[in-house]
Amino acid sequence: MPGRERKPVRSRLKSTIAVRQAWKWGAFLLLSTTFLVAAEPKRLEKTIETIQRPRVSIANLSGQVVVKGWEKNQVHVMCNLPSNRVEVDTEVLPAAGQAEKIHFTTHVLDPLATGAEEMADYTLEVPAGANVEIRNPQGSVRLEGLHSDTSVESVGGRIVATDVSGHLALQTMGGDIEAIRPSGRVEAYSITGNLHFVSPATAKLRGSTTSGRIVYEGDFVSGGDYTLSAYSGDMDIVCPASSSFELNAKTVHGKVDNRLPLTSRRHAPSPLSPGNSLLGTRNTGNATVELRSFSGTIHIRPQL
Amino acid sequence: MKERIARSAGCDQFDAELAAYLEGESRPQVVAHARQCGYCAATLSDLEQIRMSARELPWEEPSPAVWANLRAALEAEDAFRVPGDRWAWLGHLGLLRHPAPVGALASLAILGTLFTLSPARLEPVRTSEAGLVAGLGENAPAVMSVDEAAWARTIHELEDTYRAREPFLEPELKVTYRQSLDSLNGSIRECLTSLQAEPTNTLARDYLLDAYSQKAELLTSAIEFSGR
Repeated sequence: MPGRERKPVRSRLKSTIAVRQAWKWGAFLLLSTTFLVAAEPKRLEKTIETIQRPRVSIANLSGQVVVKGWEKNQVHVMCNLPSNRVEVDTEVLPAAGQAEKIHFTTHVLDPLATGAEEMADYTLEVPAGANVEIRNPQGSVRLEGLHSDTSVESVGGRIVATDVSGHLALQTMGGDIEAIRPSGRVEAYSITGNLHFVSPATAKLRGSTTSGRIVYEGDFVSGGDYTLSAYSGDMDIVCPASSSFELNAKTVHGKVDNRLPLTSRRHAPSPLSPGNSLLGTRNTGNATVELRSFSGTIHIRPQL
Repeated sequence: MKERIARSAGCDQFDAELAAYLEGESRPQVVAHARQCGYCAATLSDLEQIRMSARELPWEEPSPAVWANLRAALEAEDAFRVPGDRWAWLGHLGLLRHPAPVGALASLAILGTLFTLSPARLEPVRTSEAGLVAGLGENAPAVMSVDEAAWARTIHELEDTYRAREPFLEPELKVTYRQSLDSLNGSIRECLTSLQAEPTNTLARDYLLDAYSQKAELLTSAIEFSGR
């Protein structure tokens, strides 16, 4: 070009190298950004139209699972995955139209992932009539306002169910279980965890723990059937003075500490000493209450 | 692809026997016909080429989703079920890949059947074998029923497997399983001691059977989970 001074060869070479370096750094930065984005926490959020009583299952490994019932015929899920070493599969059946079954499954993508890297936190709103099944070995589960069958299984997680009116089946080896105002059938099992029943309105309740403690706070429904068993943990039954039930409490090496006046019944022949068992009727004996323990103390007292 | 000019009866027989020939059966007609018919020879050549290439493909492990779906399908068809197993659900992700846990589950199932059929299951066992296999001390056997001795044997076998697999458990899970096992072991020991003093104490015997049952289920669950 006229008037334009040509750069010496060395200078042109430097410019070329500089451009190449810039490209290299640019590419490096771009790749780094891509990897950083991939490593960022992932979030899944979707809404699925369902029938009135769909079946919803969650198979998680670790993290918190919260499921709330609502009036819509929809399942709304939000899932946070802090690590990119896990993913969530959603299976909806049928594939088109209103879903009848929805399965959420957390998969570990990296076999070397451990602990927090396997975590996934779920928050779901589901139709109140949905059947819900949750497996969350290392995480906690919270349920609210469900009116149909619900089962939860964990190894070490805590389970809290509030205002559930369907059949409630809760199992955790090491976690605590709390059922607040359940009104359907309740089954709660733990090995080292505590069981806490608050204001139950259910006619059938089973609770068992080996070394945990059991606390039952509330009345017994007329015609209801209640069985609580603790091995070494204590048991506290706190009920209104107006409660009406037949009581059968027995313990092998523990004690029965009753502070509610009962009409005593005669014992059937039993190897247990009188101090280790108590049969009696409270008011008209409308409900049946069976309490058993191996070495813990069974406390029965009125609500103040 | 070659166009077939004229189809003969030999071609029909070739078609009928081709699958068996490719599966390794002796079908001389297939080879003989392929020598005479260009179309069938090309078909045979293509299929053999595909078979050879397929042999060289690497083995690929199906994704966890495949196993999960397979298990779900089998469960839906009631293809397998563990009687009374409260914790068996934990192994859902990898049951078919791990023969040891499957064996453990099978032994539980067999045991459950034996208990149902055993007419004299509440009669005390007076041999020392049951207590020794349970690893529960010299005094225990005298008060064990047939059921309890059978549980003890099963639990002993499960414990061996569990000990071998425990290192593969997630640390948090290991702690929970260990605490639960300690709790159950404590209750088994106390129940046996109690029964030693009062062999007719039915409540203690109920607790003992409950503890055995829970321990077997817990070990099965832990074994399966360690193979995930």
